Amino acid sequence: MKRYDVAIVGSGPGGLNAAITAKTRNKDVIIFGRQDLSSKLVKAKHVNNYLGLFDMSGAEVAERFKQHLANMEIAITEERVTNILPAGSYFSLLTKEGIYEAKTLILATGVNFGELLPGEKELLGQGVSYCATCDAFLYKGKSAVVVGYTRQAEAEAEFLAETAEKVYYVPMYKGKDKDIVPELAHGIEVVMDKATGIEKNEAEAGSSAMKLLLENGEIQAHGIFVLRESTAVDVLVPGLAVDEAGKHVMVDRSMATNIPGCFAAGDLTGRPYQYIKAAGEGNVAALSAVAYLDTNK
Amino acid sequence: MSVREINEADFEAEVVKAEGTVLVDVWAPWCGPCRMLGPVVDEVAEENAALKVLKLNADDSPRVSMQFGIEAIPTLLVFKDGKLANKSVGLISKAAILDLIK
Repeated sequence: MKRYDVAIVGSGPGGLNAAITAKTRNKDVIIFGRQDLSSKLVKAKHVNNYLGLFDMSGAEVAERFKQHLANMEIAITEERVTNILPAGSYFSLLTKEGIYEAKTLILATGVNFGELLPGEKELLGQGVSYCATCDAFLYKGKSAVVVGYTRQAEAEAEFLAETAEKVYYVPMYKGKDKDIVPELAHGIEVVMDKATGIEKNEAEAGSSAMKLLLENGEIQAHGIFVLRESTAVDVLVPGLAVDEAGKHVMVDRSMATNIPGCFAAGDLTGRPYQYIKAAGEGNVAALSAVAYLDTNK
Repeated sequence: MSVREINEADFEAEVVKAEGTVLVDVWAPWCGPCRMLGPVVDEVAEENAALKVLKLNADDSPRVSMQFGIEAIPTLLVFKDGKLANKSVGLISKAAILDLIK
């Protein structure tokens, strides 16, 4: 398998500047993200605090970033990274489309994870799963609840329902999708309520082993799938040190995390949540990754 | 020691009746995270000559899956003299695997 020098996760200002810096240093770079770069950036009405790029909308700033990328011949890989494994001497990154390997890793995912449900993290892997397409086959003849935070979760629930005996679906949509009642195939039972927590029935096994607590009651099942837009970063990268609130990655001045060869940049490392701070950290993170590559040849 | 693939029928003889430490990687071919963890488990096996490392396909092993409460894969099971000593679910780093078999 091809092994990249640097893999970057996230295409906001932190990730992009890391990509540009690493490319300038002749490193083989892959950057995962989205064509529109960053939803936060595109939504910004007015940007006035980025050196040299002033009195512009976020979309205009994004357009300038894109021109810079094109000029440097950097293409964004539009795949969502669902798992990263620090494999010792390299990093392995999983997307729906495949597995990638890189010698160093720069995390620049931003901080938009949302709040975890009480009990969710503690029971992960013990009845709680984040990936219906990964664990579906273990639910043959069993029941499951899917807590869906985005409409993309509907397809995963349907995939699960092809194998599982019974699937419940609890939509937790926000914004314009808030009041949508999803129409799902394979006999999925849609429950219009709000999930408030997850518990394990210690004394019970089988179809009542897990309990999803709702505002108006509860659902019992073999397992619970929680499907969000993005994964909390310490779940994405097992063993990564985060702060007490679990929101920010712990880094030093060189943007190094506790995992050798893994660096972080941007909102993910803490406030202020500003583009120019993110871009500067991306630069530092990439230079640190280059130094790491040079000393660990 | 090199890694060997076993099936459910061998489990008793290869794991439960085995002396010393045995690491069992429960996986399936359709599981992406399992394919990521596989090479790391292989590396641990290569670097620890005394350790017995086995792979078990979860799809073909419903009885073992039930017995050891395997609800998600990859799952790593560590046996010491035939008794389950450690269990880990999901992707874990190489350092964490080494901690499991200590």
